[in-house]
Amino acid sequence: MSHVARTGGYKRGASRPPFSKTIKAVLIAAVALSGARVDAADVEAGRRKSAPCASCHGADGNATIPGTPSLAAQPTYFTHWQLIKFRDGRRKDAQMSPFAVNLTDEDMGDLAAFYAAQPARARDSVVDPSRAAAGRELVDRHHCSSCHTPTLAGQQQVPRLAGQDLQYLLKLLRGFKAKTASDLDGTMTMAAQPLTPEEVDSLAHYLASLPAP
Amino acid sequence: MRRKLLIGLTIVLLIGVTMWLIPAQAQQPAPPPSWKQGQPAGMAESMLAPIAQPPAPKAPGEIPVDKIKVPPGFKVELWAHGINNARAMTWGDKGTLFVSSRVAGNVYAIVDKSGTREVKTIAKGLNLPNGVAFKDGTLYVAEIHRITKMAGIEDKLDAPPQMEVVYETLPKDAPHGWKYLAFGPDGKLYFNIGAPCNICLPPDTHANISRINPDGSGFEYWAHGVRNSVGFDWHPVTKELYFSMHARDWLGEDVPSDRFDHAPKKGMHFGFPFCHQGDIPDPEFGKGRACGEFAAPLIKTGPHVAGNGVMFYTGSMFPAEYQNRVFLAQRGSWNRTQKLGFRVMMVTLRPNDVPKYEPFAEGWLQGQEIWGRPVYTSQMKDGSLLISDDYAGAIYRVSYQK
Repeated sequence: MSHVARTGGYKRGASRPPFSKTIKAVLIAAVALSGARVDAADVEAGRRKSAPCASCHGADGNATIPGTPSLAAQPTYFTHWQLIKFRDGRRKDAQMSPFAVNLTDEDMGDLAAFYAAQPARARDSVVDPSRAAAGRELVDRHHCSSCHTPTLAGQQQVPRLAGQDLQYLLKLLRGFKAKTASDLDGTMTMAAQPLTPEEVDSLAHYLASLPAP
Repeated sequence: MRRKLLIGLTIVLLIGVTMWLIPAQAQQPAPPPSWKQGQPAGMAESMLAPIAQPPAPKAPGEIPVDKIKVPPGFKVELWAHGINNARAMTWGDKGTLFVSSRVAGNVYAIVDKSGTREVKTIAKGLNLPNGVAFKDGTLYVAEIHRITKMAGIEDKLDAPPQMEVVYETLPKDAPHGWKYLAFGPDGKLYFNIGAPCNICLPPDTHANISRINPDGSGFEYWAHGVRNSVGFDWHPVTKELYFSMHARDWLGEDVPSDRFDHAPKKGMHFGFPFCHQGDIPDPEFGKGRACGEFAAPLIKTGPHVAGNGVMFYTGSMFPAEYQNRVFLAQRGSWNRTQKLGFRVMMVTLRPNDVPKYEPFAEGWLQGQEIWGRPVYTSQMKDGSLLISDDYAGAIYRVSYQK
């Protein structure tokens, strides 16, 4: 199987389609397919191994604690790479780092497969509608869909943003802007530089306002 | 009074226009991610994008070594596996193979223990540490922003020493910021500083091959106009530098070609961003410049093939005609609808003739599906050839028997 990144090619400045039922259905099918592609044993092993993660990230990867990201429906490459970065210290978090230190490569693969197979639910983020409205066009202007896909559902090593927790999005985007957040290859740090602090906030509010795909 | 009113009105109007212009300026599109930069409007619907790096190496059962085709008499085997994102290779004096990675952030040491290879991670969490070079018991590592060293490393593989900074006055740009690192015949450390973009007029500090003394002193540029070269070596007899270069993206399926180049002296300019493949002026930056101003490629190696590792063969195992032949590992295309590359080519330099350029190992690409990406080659003591594969996280060994 080839791992060609299915990014790119989305018209700049084009307005994104509304999240119609058809698109939702396609997305659910895509998630189901990507889940099906993963070895079933991996997902089940991942479910068992995810027990210590559940108190913060939710039993099915849908977290409820503000500032803690939902892992449900995140692409397998994304979760796996983040765990590697927590383990090797490139990404640091007082709560998360200790959990990652002792994970094996196999654990990471299993956990990533498990979370990718879980349907995402919307968060209870308190979104400011005017900020969210201002953030909508920033997604186009800053080419977010080039890597995160037009539905912002993520792909390959690139995370799902749609419906993610507001406080977490704010923390990460502010970190990328400040060049202190960990970046696999520098792309997000570069992307965040032209954003003003107000735009960072607006973007986070918009992303948090989107339905979870 | 009337004049004052007119002046007043003009001022108000000017302020109004300025106020209107400022937010308009703020509405300018932000730069796209660097891989997408330079994409023409007509290709905005293109689905082409860089191939994602898997986060884990493949298990031996998922690595179909038998699909790699080599010339008659040669044999390919899986030599080591489980090396996430395996890239450049360099040998220690005591027989340790040091292997770099890129996004995995690791440096590995591989020790051969009576026929089985043990892989140890000796450094992790580094900033795209693509370059490794070894001299006098010391391993040198090049990340994006610095070059470090680990003295006496081969005796301390299980408790590696702190990495000591050799040189850190380097740009921090991520695009094309990862480095190949090698000792030249002059004892200096050579590395690339790539263009921080797909296509742009780079700062004077970028798009070059540079060198320093092993103690970090004496920085100087060797070659200019080099968009990104992550593979070079010196001719065993003439001691002159040869290198591979990746050409820009988004100019088309078949252009521009990547290059194999020759830089026998300091200060040559290889054309970026003004001229591509020696004869195609850049549509934007080529204006007012002529391709004749710049060094022409020794070989046009093919569009988007992504030539990485360059290595002159000096071993005794392969047939005589392989002496001083170049192995050129091509990691393969993404900016092309029909994939190309994913192979190891060979270059035979010939006096008073064009070089011969032909395949050596192919098969990582099956139809349009890839299962691996050859990145670098390295010669073993016995003259066999190692090929690293960053996609499968593996190293293959090619041997020859009459």
